[in-house]
Amino acid sequence: MNIDIIATIIALLTMFSIYSLMAISLNLEYGVAGVPNFGQALFVSLGAYVTGVTYTRLLPLLAGLETIHPCGSSLGAALQLRSEIMATQPLAGFLNLALTFVTAAALGGLVGFAVSYVTLRLKQEWYLALVLLVGGEIVRIAVRSADDLICSHNGISGIAGPFYYLDDARASSALFMLLALALALAAYRCSEGLIHSPFGRMLKGLRENEAVTRSLGKGISLARAQIMLIGSVIAAIAGVLFALNTGFVNTNDYVVTLTLDVWVMVVLGGLGNSRGALLGAALIAVMDRLTQVAAIQLNMSGFPIEFNYVRFILFGLILLFMLRFRPQGLLPESPLTTHAHEVLRPGHPETERRR
Amino acid sequence: MPLLELKNIRKNYGGLRAVDDVSLAVPAGAIVGLIGPNGSGKSTLIHLIAGTSSLTSGQIFFDGRDVTALSSDQVFQRGMARGYQDPSLYFKMTALDNALLPVKNQRGERPWYAPWRRCWQDEEAAHAQTAGDMLEQVRLLKHYDKLAADLSGGQMKLLEIARALMGKPRLLLLDEPTAGVAPKLAYEIFQQIARLRDVHGLTFLIVEHRLEILLDFVDYIYAMHLGRLLAEGTAAEIASHQTVRDVYFGD
Repeated sequence: MNIDIIATIIALLTMFSIYSLMAISLNLEYGVAGVPNFGQALFVSLGAYVTGVTYTRLLPLLAGLETIHPCGSSLGAALQLRSEIMATQPLAGFLNLALTFVTAAALGGLVGFAVSYVTLRLKQEWYLALVLLVGGEIVRIAVRSADDLICSHNGISGIAGPFYYLDDARASSALFMLLALALALAAYRCSEGLIHSPFGRMLKGLRENEAVTRSLGKGISLARAQIMLIGSVIAAIAGVLFALNTGFVNTNDYVVTLTLDVWVMVVLGGLGNSRGALLGAALIAVMDRLTQVAAIQLNMSGFPIEFNYVRFILFGLILLFMLRFRPQGLLPESPLTTHAHEVLRPGHPETERRR
Repeated sequence: MPLLELKNIRKNYGGLRAVDDVSLAVPAGAIVGLIGPNGSGKSTLIHLIAGTSSLTSGQIFFDGRDVTALSSDQVFQRGMARGYQDPSLYFKMTALDNALLPVKNQRGERPWYAPWRRCWQDEEAAHAQTAGDMLEQVRLLKHYDKLAADLSGGQMKLLEIARALMGKPRLLLLDEPTAGVAPKLAYEIFQQIARLRDVHGLTFLIVEHRLEILLDFVDYIYAMHLGRLLAEGTAAEIASHQTVRDVYFGD
């Protein structure tokens, strides 16, 4: 068995960053605000679909070239064109990536806000879970049926990362890893800031008792729509990175199992705090890798069972075990929200003056 | 002009008239009691005023303005806060967070400011001081970082009042603030209420089951029975009112 340690670490950290973004997003929505988003795959897929469209339509324009229709008979020529641009015109590549992020974030945020603002007025927030679960499938099938958007069943392959122009493949994947890590870190900081703020306090109030929070003067529909907007933006950004990392966009990647993976991360790590989301993402990224490696090794040695499916059994067991024995997750959330508690702590100059 | 005025309030649940043609007035700065046996419509009336359920007919005026159709968050924004019969705190939050949540117009409650602590930290610290004062007034300051779930029953009731006060209301609607509390502590809770009225000029409309405790504290009492107003008057008048005595004590 021959494993390239550095390549493995780069791949692991990249996956960890992408999973972290997804887990941070769901943690904000469900862990903090109590909105059960069973459409995580939908919001991630929006980012990926946008990537598929921009890298085939926008990129050639930015490079000052004619676009080639990416599907059907011109598929090969289009693939060659985008690879060439990514290899020779890094500036066009970066500009395209930036515009992809902006478009994906805007689309994700818009859909998240619109969907939640309508459905959160339903009597039970779990209806939103169902609407999003079904909605994700509908969007997926619609995108797959649209022949031209991302080439239906075939999807779009050969999407190179922004550092493809470097000759050294390892350096380019390492830089992509750093980009993903930086985005994950930014999302983490942002999410921690939100949780430990008056906004986070209001969301936790909503989660615990909706009627009381309302009668304490809070507009709850708006607050939930806002957190759905934020969560969806983060998920869509994760989708862009996910597509760039795998190098292709295919609707088959954004099925319900992706949503469930993110739920496992959040439940495993601990609901309501971003550190839990990071821990869950890290554990799932490692487990993913291990089951993949095990599957390859076992397949080569003639093992009669497809080991990749063991992954699903494993994740199901983790979910059941956590919900039964440790519902608060590996890292339980802390009840303190803002620095207000420090202000009242004995020894704080302002408090001592008044006592 | 009374601070709160109810005109011909009616609430039907199917064929049941839970509240039937009730009119009452709460003058500013008064403590007004609302009594009646179980099922007489007192709690329903509180729900109607607070906007948590909608009325069948009638009008509600607060400070001279029609608030009949407002939702519960709008009612709170206008200056009416409510307490619940069962303590409805955020049990998984600290006493301080409970008190801070209802503060109006918090900058840090807007999601685009929230992640940047510098935008709201001074404001939050000032609110924390106010909340500390409020908790001190109900003698809960030393428990500020305890979870609400870990407080005693009486402390929960007091925290609920303190929490409502953080929204700077002018009127408090309290539904049995002494339910499930020992008689001695119940008396203390009413002393606190009287003090809040005297110090802050607050107005109270209080649903209470125990007639005897109201007699010492309230300015005026409305007695309900089967959804209708049975009698109104000062505490002494109600205590000696024959029909009220019949309904209440059966004598």
